[in-house]
Amino acid sequence: MSAEEYQYIENPMSVSRREFLSISGALIALTALPAAVVRRMAVKRNDYIRARTAGLYKDDTNAKVRVSHANQGVSRLYQDFLGNPLSEVSEELLHTRYIDRSRAMA
Amino acid sequence: MEQITKTFQAGEVPGIITIDAHRCKGCDTCKRHCATKAISGMFGAVHTIDAAKCINCGQCLINCPFGAPYETVDAVNTVVSKLKDPNTTVVGIIAPAVRVAIGEEFGMPPGSLATRRMYGAMHKAGFKIFDNNYAADLTIMEEGTEFIHRVRAAVFGDEIPGHKPGPLPQFTSCCPAWVRYVELNYPSLIPHLSSAKSPQQMAGAVAKTYGAAKVWSVRPANVYTVGVMPCTAKKFEASRPEFRSAFAHASKEQGDGSGTPYPDIDAVLTTRDLARLLKEMGIDLAKTPEAADESILAQYSGAGTIFGNTGGVMEAAVRTVHAVLTGEELAPLEFKPVRGLKGVKTASVTLLDTKFKKEATVNVAVVHGLRENITPVLDEILSGRSPYHFIEVMNCPGGCINGGGQPIPAVGSGWLGAMSPLLAWK
Repeated sequence: MSAEEYQYIENPMSVSRREFLSISGALIALTALPAAVVRRMAVKRNDYIRARTAGLYKDDTNAKVRVSHANQGVSRLYQDFLGNPLSEVSEELLHTRYIDRSRAMA
Repeated sequence: MEQITKTFQAGEVPGIITIDAHRCKGCDTCKRHCATKAISGMFGAVHTIDAAKCINCGQCLINCPFGAPYETVDAVNTVVSKLKDPNTTVVGIIAPAVRVAIGEEFGMPPGSLATRRMYGAMHKAGFKIFDNNYAADLTIMEEGTEFIHRVRAAVFGDEIPGHKPGPLPQFTSCCPAWVRYVELNYPSLIPHLSSAKSPQQMAGAVAKTYGAAKVWSVRPANVYTVGVMPCTAKKFEASRPEFRSAFAHASKEQGDGSGTPYPDIDAVLTTRDLARLLKEMGIDLAKTPEAADESILAQYSGAGTIFGNTGGVMEAAVRTVHAVLTGEELAPLEFKPVRGLKGVKTASVTLLDTKFKKEATVNVAVVHGLRENITPVLDEILSGRSPYHFIEVMNCPGGCINGGGQPIPAVGSGWLGAMSPLLAWK
């Protein structure tokens, strides 16, 4: 006989297979829920891009004049002041040059 | 040769974007949005931006979840004081992409078209309106004509006396971040950039010559031009010393170069800056009634307005180039292959040149999101294998509507990208 006294100990993990599976399922669902919310935050920036893009295309569709060469205001500017595209005044005011900045990089 | 210190010309703002060390958490989000590897700093340590490499696009600024990057130039107070000065004609130059985004700062849903409300609010604040869409149309006239010259020279051997057309492919030059990117990293491709200024700079030069004389009847020196832009790089562009052409023109006309030189664009406000200015002046955009503007400098076409979208400049150019070469309007006007968010979009158009009675097939490409998409396209050109004749480039993903100066959506979640490999469903 054992010298030790008998003591009843309940097995803390006495869950059935079925119970174990349903508890795990509930835990996974609980962790996935906030992750899904977080994921929706991540794609929200795309929604902004799409909405703004659609806004500009709508402005185009609604416009009475839809091509640059039919803009009366621009035609007036050429008539009154610039002459033609790439005219001397156009070159002076509307065109530019670029510079090589690469050597200053290092 | 110009004096260049650390990649900046004299007079230029040496770096528009900088990082607030107290706010930076070292999360590395900004590095994943930087096209030029200008940001350094270990993961977890405070990050810094190397201004010499930075192209000022502001993508780090709008994507930082902690709001650490900020702009070194803020013109809101200066513009407010100019608006109060009765001797100054303050001209607001409104970029296309601003009108579909500024509403977000006043509780309107994203994408709301607020052009007419902006006219109303800016009239109330004391601005004269110069719609930058007008300058976009002007850009198409200049850049499209330049492109036709380059194509006719390359395909038909056409020559225009006194003009040496640049090489093909031609790049668009509206995006100041892209222009600086080429100047810094691909100097051999500089001749491919269209010589046409960006719409903002064209608007400034026109406002201080034709606008001052014919539209507002004031002295050019008393005109104060304010670019209202979706872009932080525009603040840099405005400071480039070559953009004083209205002053140079006036000096040449009068035959003397005396007087204080004035820049074509005096100040640049981002979309966020303008919203702050209006709020400071007690103007609520959402409650402002819609207004019209009768100035000829506020007339614009549908082609001008889509400049703010990726593919928009190309679509506008194709519409006009088609009409000029063939004598007929493009039908339908919607040029769908250049729309959408694909990284590199390509299309071909065959045009019958009525001047030469011959057909030419023009291959176009549209690139946005420099960081991911530009290198292969440029490598093709450097190795002489590029099939394209005309390439539109915008730095920001989606185009100017997602520019570094736009309202920042309340959710900063860019850092999630770093976690994505851990997410089972990705």
